Amino acid sequence: MGFIEADNLRKQFDPPRGVIAVDGVSFAIEAGEIYSLLGPNGAGKTTVISILSCLLRPTEGDARVGGNSVVHQAAAVKSLIGMVPQDIALYMDLSARENLVFWGKMYGMVGAELNRRVDEVLELIDLKDRQRERVDKYSGGMKRRVNIGVALLHRPQALYLDEPTVGIDPQSRRAILDAILEFRNQGMTILYTTHYMAEAQELSDRIGIMDHGRMIAEGTHEELVRIVGEDAHVQLSVDRNLEALMNVWPTLDGVGTVSAENGKITLLVHDATSTLPYLFETAQREGARITEISVMEPNLEMVFLHLTGRALRD
Amino acid sequence: MIVRKIIAIALKDVTSTYRNVTALVMMLAAPLALAALLGLAFGGNDSGYSVPITRVAFVNQDEGRDSTRGPIALGTLLCDILHSPDLKNLLAITVFTSPADARASVDKGKAAVAVVIPPDFTASITSPDPSATSSIILYADPTQTLGPAIVRGITQEVADAFNGSRAVSAVMLHLAADAGPPPGQNGPNSNVTTEDMEKIILQTTSAYIQATQEEGFSGTTARGPQVDHQAKDPGIEGLVLSGMMVFFMFIGGANIARSIIDEDAQGTLPRLFTTPTRRSVILGGKMVSVFLTVLTQAIILLLAGGLLFGIDWGGVVPVALLTLNTALVSAGLAVFLVSLMKTPAQAGAITSGVFVTLALLGGNFVGSMPIGGLFSTIRRLTPNGWLLEGWDKVLRGAEAHDILLQLSVAMAFAAVTFVAGSLIFRRRFS
Repeated sequence: MGFIEADNLRKQFDPPRGVIAVDGVSFAIEAGEIYSLLGPNGAGKTTVISILSCLLRPTEGDARVGGNSVVHQAAAVKSLIGMVPQDIALYMDLSARENLVFWGKMYGMVGAELNRRVDEVLELIDLKDRQRERVDKYSGGMKRRVNIGVALLHRPQALYLDEPTVGIDPQSRRAILDAILEFRNQGMTILYTTHYMAEAQELSDRIGIMDHGRMIAEGTHEELVRIVGEDAHVQLSVDRNLEALMNVWPTLDGVGTVSAENGKITLLVHDATSTLPYLFETAQREGARITEISVMEPNLEMVFLHLTGRALRD
Repeated sequence: MIVRKIIAIALKDVTSTYRNVTALVMMLAAPLALAALLGLAFGGNDSGYSVPITRVAFVNQDEGRDSTRGPIALGTLLCDILHSPDLKNLLAITVFTSPADARASVDKGKAAVAVVIPPDFTASITSPDPSATSSIILYADPTQTLGPAIVRGITQEVADAFNGSRAVSAVMLHLAADAGPPPGQNGPNSNVTTEDMEKIILQTTSAYIQATQEEGFSGTTARGPQVDHQAKDPGIEGLVLSGMMVFFMFIGGANIARSIIDEDAQGTLPRLFTTPTRRSVILGGKMVSVFLTVLTQAIILLLAGGLLFGIDWGGVVPVALLTLNTALVSAGLAVFLVSLMKTPAQAGAITSGVFVTLALLGGNFVGSMPIGGLFSTIRRLTPNGWLLEGWDKVLRGAEAHDILLQLSVAMAFAAVTFVAGSLIFRRRFS
């Protein structure tokens, strides 16, 4: 039994004719696990996270957090979770400390306990020195850190992060990803939504891939890439003797299928690093020159492409 | 815990508002600046309108007449009226013996207007002959407008009073004639003689003179809403600032109420909904913040009005009641209007339009000055009209019991709009 369980969630806005944002989504997240919802914009990730944080009521289905229904026991669910929204949701004319104190009060914290926890969080997000400056004076990365800090105030058992790295510099992104891994190590259950394949791959214990409101695949990274096989795709162009090479390359060790389309050859190779020199060597032997080459290791992008016929970034 | 959260939300909003320079300008600087400008335009730091004193050259040629109560001279009465303490801040009278000297005084710019009472003034007014007429001559400096107009108004009013007295006497005599002789007496119906009529006119007029001399002249305030002469002078700054204060409290309230929509768009309201705080508590906190913000605004404006312009707002209890009332009306109206809007831009444009319209109808731009006629009826259709009536009374020294009607009607506006707005918001965010 997972700490977070979604059971056939469905959300239609303005029924009966409105948009169906989530359509029969089910998944479970174990305690202490990082689970990423991966999908393009509009896939329904934010709607799922909104339902799990009791912000939206599902049209059908239910979800449980720590055994509490998001439909019937919203107050209990809310006290267990910390929500980091996609956009910065802070009071810009208040300082970081004032924001944290205010949000702490909204989580029911008061007095010395609140002040102590605010100090801890300011330390954690590395803003103790600038805690009294107004948030609107901060850089994008600093705002993101406060945005996350707010969700940590009440020591939640589960942390939801909705695309927390959108629009920030690489250094801040790295800091956020490291912090998330640290939260997981401390035992926090993390639900993370992103459309960045690399983030999902790096962070997640398990990944759910969403498209058009549906969960189209779910599993560990290894399980997902196995959907498209373990071979790398090598795509190349040559200036002449295409037919001769099409006959030679399938005979090389480590090369699987070879196909050609629109003058481009695609090979499935078991180990691209060791096979590439042989490809160049045989091309030279046949009097041809490789003019263009790309190698794509099996990854989530390929999985999404394989499942939907579209690139993840589309 | 619920109360703590409501207070936390309200204080957060109040803090945000009073850190916002634009909001401060709209809520505090604008009403004070407008009051200062209008105050300067109408008389600086005096405690009222500072209309320049008009110099009047007065010539009384009236020969008067004897009556059963002794000699009467209506020209002298008019002179006394112009000399009365009520008009000492408006008129400076110099008596001349000849009309030519009085006109010369005007021509030389020493007087703004000359008033000449003809010799037959009393005789004509007290004559039973309806065709008997007499004219007061006014000779005004054409470059002067306000002073001669004041003198003309006062003179006309006195003349109207004399004519009224004469008309009443004539009606009484005709009624007596129509009624016939007293019971038990025989004779024709018209046994009232011309001498009788003359006697009655003289008695009526002399009685009027006596009453006027005993009670004082109220000519300048006889028209329009009656003002208690014992009331304190509210001062132009007080009247203007009260109008500006109510208007800008409405605007200020709407800005804070709009923060509900702003927060929804900026994501802080949805984030609040993910905390273990009930939505009714969050919305309640926002409502309280609207009330606290406009209440603070009112207190600051009242204090600033007292310190900067020397405004005496009135008794503590009625001012406190009216301030609370104004804040409640502002909050209620703001919450209701904003609850009907979908976007911050829509809320900003529409609430501003509504408040300007209400201000025009309710009289905010003429302050809390009492204005008669149709306008006084129209302004009572608006909550600000009732509030301004209340402020006018309090500025003139009214006590709490004198403004109960205004307080009650304004409270009703506040209650209805606040409840309606709250319900709409609750339904919208449920």
